[in-house]
Amino acid sequence: MKATEDERPIDQRLRRRRFLGAIAAGCTAGVAGCAEGASDDIDGETVTIVPPSNPADSDDQWERWSGMTPYWTRVVEPLVWGTKEMHAKPWLATDWELTDDTTWVFELREGVTFHNGAEMTADDVVHSYENDILERYGDFVYGWLHLEPGSVEKIDDYTVEFTNTEPFPDFPGTIGHNMLDVHPPSADPWNGDVIGTGPFTLEDVEDGQYVELGTHDDYWGGDVAPDGLTVRAAEDETTRTNLLESGDADVVLEPSKPRLTSLRRSDEFVVETQQSSGSTFVSFNLYEEPTDDADLRRALNYAVSQSEIVEEALGGLGRPASGPISTVIDWAADDELPDYERDHETARELVADSSYDGEELTCLVRGDQDDDDLIAQILQSEFDAVGVDLDIELLERAAYQDRTGRGEFHLAIDGTQSNSPGADYIMWENFHSRGVDNIDLYEADGTGLHNLGGEVDDLIETGFQSNDPEQRHEAYVEAQRRIVEEAVVIPITYREYAVAMDATIEGVELHPIDRLLEWRSLRRSQ
Amino acid sequence: MRTYLAYRLGTSAIVMIGVSLVTYGMIFLTPGNPAEVILSERLDRPPSQAEIEAFEAEHGLTDPVPVQYGRWLTDVLRGDLGTSYYAETQVTSMIGTALPVTVELAVASMLIALAIAVPTGVLSAVYQGTSVDVVCQLGSLVGVSMPNFWLAYLLILAFPLTLGVLPVAGAGSPGQLVLPAVTLGTGMAAVLTRLIRASMLEVLAEAYVDTARSKGLRGRIVRYKHALRNALIPVVTIIGLQFGSLLNGAVVIEVVFQRPGLGLLLVDAVFDRDYPVIQGITLIAAGIFVVTNLFVDLAYRSLDPRVSMGGEAS
Repeated sequence: MKATEDERPIDQRLRRRRFLGAIAAGCTAGVAGCAEGASDDIDGETVTIVPPSNPADSDDQWERWSGMTPYWTRVVEPLVWGTKEMHAKPWLATDWELTDDTTWVFELREGVTFHNGAEMTADDVVHSYENDILERYGDFVYGWLHLEPGSVEKIDDYTVEFTNTEPFPDFPGTIGHNMLDVHPPSADPWNGDVIGTGPFTLEDVEDGQYVELGTHDDYWGGDVAPDGLTVRAAEDETTRTNLLESGDADVVLEPSKPRLTSLRRSDEFVVETQQSSGSTFVSFNLYEEPTDDADLRRALNYAVSQSEIVEEALGGLGRPASGPISTVIDWAADDELPDYERDHETARELVADSSYDGEELTCLVRGDQDDDDLIAQILQSEFDAVGVDLDIELLERAAYQDRTGRGEFHLAIDGTQSNSPGADYIMWENFHSRGVDNIDLYEADGTGLHNLGGEVDDLIETGFQSNDPEQRHEAYVEAQRRIVEEAVVIPITYREYAVAMDATIEGVELHPIDRLLEWRSLRRSQ
Repeated sequence: MRTYLAYRLGTSAIVMIGVSLVTYGMIFLTPGNPAEVILSERLDRPPSQAEIEAFEAEHGLTDPVPVQYGRWLTDVLRGDLGTSYYAETQVTSMIGTALPVTVELAVASMLIALAIAVPTGVLSAVYQGTSVDVVCQLGSLVGVSMPNFWLAYLLILAFPLTLGVLPVAGAGSPGQLVLPAVTLGTGMAAVLTRLIRASMLEVLAEAYVDTARSKGLRGRIVRYKHALRNALIPVVTIIGLQFGSLLNGAVVIEVVFQRPGLGLLLVDAVFDRDYPVIQGITLIAAGIFVVTNLFVDLAYRSLDPRVSMGGEAS
C-alpha cells in the first residue's frame, strides 16, 4: 500500500503537572483584570517561548521521556510528521509502502544533514530505532510500535525496512512522534550531546529553567527565521502568563484561562486558539452497579449541557462534544451520533425506569487536570436536578490511576489525546476489551471498564487492522455510534488550547497536536 | 563537648533512620503504582500489565517492602541514594542540582525575616501599648495570615507587571531571588516578630534589668546589650525550627517562581511516585533539620552557659 495522508495511531493521555493550578487561577482571577503588561524591548531576533511543560527537567541529560525537549524544541525530528488533518506527512522519510501485511519500506529524504554536518542515512535510522528506542526502552515500546528488536533493517543508504509484529496499517502515523527521532550513532544524547536534523541546535540547558537553541544553517526544510529560541520552563499557567505580560516571554502556550479576556483586550498581545486532537468525557464503569444500567447512563447524558460546561468551566475554550473522539481526527464521528440534548424531564423518567435506588455515585477527578473539578461540580448540580446523588473524589494522578485500574468508581472525568497523527490507539485503549483501560479486569473476570465487547470489539479491530480507509472509517464511526447509543461516556468537549503571544510576533502556525508546533517561521514585525 | 557531639550524632542517626522508615512505610501505604504512573508519563497512555511487570522487575519493586528498604539503606550507607525511576539519573545528582537553589532561598528568606523581625519585635516590646506596638502587631498579624502564594502573586503584580522591575520567575541571578525571598521571609518575619516581642517583654520584666537601670545604665544599653541577648535565646530555637519548615514554604514558592529547587523536585517526585527521589529528599531534609538543631543547641549554649546538654554534667 502506498502511503497517503491517511495514517493515524497511538493515543496519548494528556497530562500536565499543574500543582497549585486551581489555587493560583482562583487567586489570580481577582488581580488579573488590573494587570498591565510591562513589555521590555527585546533586542535581536531570538524568541522566547514557554510551553506548558518543563523543557529541562532531566538533569542535563537529553531525556526522551521527561522534559519536552524532544517535543517542543525542534532539535531532533522523526521520519514522519502530521498534517493539520491528522494524516501522516513525509518528513525525514519521503515515501513509504506496505509490501506485505507487516512489512513497510521507507524511502529516506536525501541531502538531510545533521547538526554535525554528516548526512542522514539508513544507518542512522536503524541505529536510532534499534539501539536507542527498542533496545534502550525495551518491552513497553513494543506494543506501541508493533516492533521488536531486529525488526528494523537497512536496505540501502536511503531505504529502511520495518517489520511489524502483526498487521498495523497505522504504523506510519504512529511513528510521526517527536520521541521517535533520528540521530547519528556518534551522538550521546543521554549525556548532553544532542545532534539532530531539526531547524534548531541545542546550545545550552539550564536544569529546570530553560533550553537555549541556535539555528541549523543547512536545515533541509529551508530558512529558519529566528536567530535562536529560548524555551523557558514555567509549569504553572499563571507564571507563564506573568512572563508574557512582563515581556520575559514572547509566546506562551496555555496561558491562564481567567486572564485570556484581558490578554485579548490588550493591544500588546494576541491570543489564538486551536482545536486539539484531545477530548474530555465522563467515562462510566459499565460493570459496577448501578452504572451498569444503560437507562441510568442515558439519563445522566440527558442531564447535562455540553455547551454550558464549555462556557462555565472552560471559559469557552473547547467545542461541545457529541462523541468521545476529537473531530480533528478524520474517522471521528460527530454528526452521525445520537444527540442527548439536555432534557431533565426525559432524564428523570429514565432515572425512574432504571435500577438506580438513590445511592451515591462516585465520580473520580484528577487534581492535576485543569478544569476537571469544575466540570465535576457542574455534573453534580445537574445530576442532583434529576434526582441522582454524585460524590466527587478529587485525587492526584497516581491515586486516580490506582482507583480506576481497580474499577472502584462509577464515573470518572476522563479524556484522551494523540500526540501523533496516528490516533487509532484512542479507540483501542478506551473501548476495546483488550485495550489497556479494560484488559486487566476483562482477563481477570470477563468484565472491564468502558468496553461493550462483542460487535464493538469487532468493529474496533476492523478499524485498527484495515488497509482500506473507507472500511476503517465506517468501522470506527459505527463503533462510536454504539458507544454513544449505549451511553458508555458522557462526551464533554473536543479540546482547544490557547497560545498567547506578543503582538509583534508573527509566524506561529497552530497545529492540532501542540507538540508538533513549528517555530522556524517565528519572526518579529517591525 | 566531644561527648555531647558523639551523643547527638548517635541520636541524629537514629532520627534519620526513623524518618526514612516512616517515609518508606508511608510511600507503600499510599495508593498508586510507580510503574503505572511513570510508564503512563513515558508512553502518554496507560501501560499494559506486561509493561508494568517489566518495569517492576527492573526496579526490584516486586520484592517485599523490607527487602526493598534494606537494599535502599545499604546503598545509602555506601553514599548511593539510588536512581530516579522517572528521570533515570542519580538521585544525588538531582539533589545536588536542586539543593543549592533551595538553600539560597532559605538563607535569603531567613536574613530578610530577621532584618524585619528583630527591630520590629524589639520596638513592639519597648513601646508596648503604644501606637507603635499596635502597628507592629497588626503588621505581624497580617504577615501570619497572608498565604505565601497570595503574597507571591501580589508582589509579581506590583513589581514585574506594574512597575516593570525584577524578574517574574527563574533562578540564578540575585534579581530572581528577591521576590521569592521576600515572599517567604515576610511570613517567617511575622512569626518571629511576635516571638521576639513576647520574649523581650519577659526579659524586660526581669529584676536584673531594673538593677541595670538603677545603676544608671542608659536605656539603650540595657535594652540592646543586656535584654536583647537573653530575649534571643528562645528565638534561636524557633529559627532552627523555621529552617526545617522552609522546605514546606519552598514547595509552594518554587512552583510559583519556577525555581528548580528541592521543593519542586519533591512535588514532582511525589506525583510520579518516584520512590528513590522522595526518599533521598526526605533524608536530606531530615539531615538539614538535624544539623540545624544541633547548631541551634550549640548556639543556645554560647548564648546561655547555664544551659546544660545531654551527655554533660550541668
